[in-house]
Amino acid sequence: MVKIALVGCGTMGRVHCGGYAKIPSVQLVAVCDLSEEKMSALPIPAQTRHYQSFDEMMEQEEFDILDVCLPTYLHKEYAMRGMRAKKHVFCEKPIALTNEDAQEMIACAKENNVKFSVGQVLRLFPMYANAAQQVKDGRLGIPKLIRTTRNQAFPPWSWEGWYQDYKKSGGPIVDLAIHDIDWIIGNFGKVERVYAKAFCGKVEKQDHCMITLRLVNGAIAHVEASWAYPQGSVFRTTFEIIGTDAQIEYDSVANAPIHYQTFEDGAHRDAYLSPVLGTLEPYCAELLAFVQSVENGTPLIVTGEDAAETLRVALAALESAQTGEPVEL
Amino acid sequence: MEKKVKIGVISFEHMHALSYTRELLKLPNVELVGIADTDEFRGTRMAFQFGTKYYPDYHDLLETDIDGVIICTCNRLHCEVSVAAAQHKKHILVEKPFAMTAPQAEEMLRAAKENGVQIMNAFPMRFNPNVIEAKQMVDEGKIGDILCITGINHGKIPSGWFIDPSQSGGGGVMDHTVHLADLMRWFTGSEYTDVYCESGSLIHNQHIDDCGIVTADMESGAFVTIDCSWAHHKNYPIWPQVDMEIIGTKGTIDLHAFGQVNRIYDLKGNLVEDVVWNEDGDAGLVREFVSVCRTGQKPNASGADGARALEVAVAAYKSTASHKKIAVEHLNTQE
Repeated sequence: MVKIALVGCGTMGRVHCGGYAKIPSVQLVAVCDLSEEKMSALPIPAQTRHYQSFDEMMEQEEFDILDVCLPTYLHKEYAMRGMRAKKHVFCEKPIALTNEDAQEMIACAKENNVKFSVGQVLRLFPMYANAAQQVKDGRLGIPKLIRTTRNQAFPPWSWEGWYQDYKKSGGPIVDLAIHDIDWIIGNFGKVERVYAKAFCGKVEKQDHCMITLRLVNGAIAHVEASWAYPQGSVFRTTFEIIGTDAQIEYDSVANAPIHYQTFEDGAHRDAYLSPVLGTLEPYCAELLAFVQSVENGTPLIVTGEDAAETLRVALAALESAQTGEPVEL
Repeated sequence: MEKKVKIGVISFEHMHALSYTRELLKLPNVELVGIADTDEFRGTRMAFQFGTKYYPDYHDLLETDIDGVIICTCNRLHCEVSVAAAQHKKHILVEKPFAMTAPQAEEMLRAAKENGVQIMNAFPMRFNPNVIEAKQMVDEGKIGDILCITGINHGKIPSGWFIDPSQSGGGGVMDHTVHLADLMRWFTGSEYTDVYCESGSLIHNQHIDDCGIVTADMESGAFVTIDCSWAHHKNYPIWPQVDMEIIGTKGTIDLHAFGQVNRIYDLKGNLVEDVVWNEDGDAGLVREFVSVCRTGQKPNASGADGARALEVAVAAYKSTASHKKIAVEHLNTQE
């Protein structure tokens, strides 16, 4: 039985709790958040203890894995506090907000001889994993042109508005586009050069980024991520890979197996659903893989180094968007 | 440690046996004891591929200490093989359609009951993640009461025994009506009262029904249609299509059970292919059967469910022949 403690019970903390609930070999011993109200609303066992103080949780609880679901600007501090207490650490993405912080976290995990992984979860989304596998199997020939989109409304609510403060969240490039950047680097090759456009906080509560990546192997990728859609918009992702022998495409709306519509409280409601059940559900699958790695020594799906490289490219895109110049990596 | 379950597979005449066997071998504490097939070439090849023993005669496989059998013969043999399996006290998963005729279906159910074994019909759509989600939404009342359902189970035309009515019992109407007839019963919790059908051999010139539209009424007052055609051309991007447009008093659900695909435009093969990237339902179906073999409990997708769905296909052929609305004759499915 692997014992887990989780800090940060906002959106992602809640999702992770749902993931652990499906894994029989884990016990969520404690959760920690400043808000008791948030902890009380979690889908967790009654015996899981609640802490409003991180220090108190670390003193009183015995566990194997610390799961860090705090806002991005707090990742480094809490991940490293866990590592120093000899806990394996699973940290939500992005790993950190600077390359230096990311490297410090990796070094700290090594010093303390603990496992460290980051929730770059897109690699485990089955449609993205399938496309990557088609490329590995040679079905597409050599992948040459990649296009991804990830579009939504501005995050309408966050604790103390941390998403809106780009010093705390990194904005849509470092928070949102980083998913697709990670998938591209993880599957299609390292990045040589970046050019990017974004509002960079100049427009209130709307941002949209377009990033061109040139890979070392010569392939070109266009990554689009948006926080500019109207509130209530359907979250939509797409990808397209054009190879020398075939091309592959996916659209989360066009390929949604369930379109649900209703009329409630005087308004039309619309939802596109694409269920993935059991432990295949990506947010469960990433946690299961980490738990198995701690239990059996199986390789990590995302290492600290992987997540740091992804951040390095995202930060280069941010720099390009801010300076208006291409950035060589 | 849970009990090891021993399974045999009888015939790869129906190609679903491949997928079921693959899923079977992924499960813990399951042993594939053997494969029986009257076609020696196919049977020995499959036994080699899956690392198990080949039995030319299925009776010899039934003599072993297996807990259950998966039967994927042609439709004509479902009854004979299922009855023999029941007499050997083996739990049964039989491919759909459950049988070719109503008397066969009743005989199979009776044999299972008399011998105290469970008989399950292969309705993998009940285990498709998207169908499960939609069913849950309906059960939670998200669309209110179901008023009507438009169903499409459209595919390509198969070959071999499938298009020989003496082996299959019929074409698209026999092969495809049952999937959606089952799901619609399951979603509404209601039984069919009458059926109308227009069907025929219209596209492929194979002298067997390849186009069919079934309309049915249910006891709840809901009405449904099922497009059970085999009319898709060879270059259609995907084989299975299982769709339901469900109209409720409070909302609608448009379900595309195989909608979770990546589309590949393949230059070398000069084709467009939709590749499903989620579980399709076969994995869940096989898990359920293994669980039935372990516990002896009544399955989700029972033989009685199979017989109820078959009733609709049988009535549909009667309607096609007579151009009349046909009252559904309910089989004796007491278990």
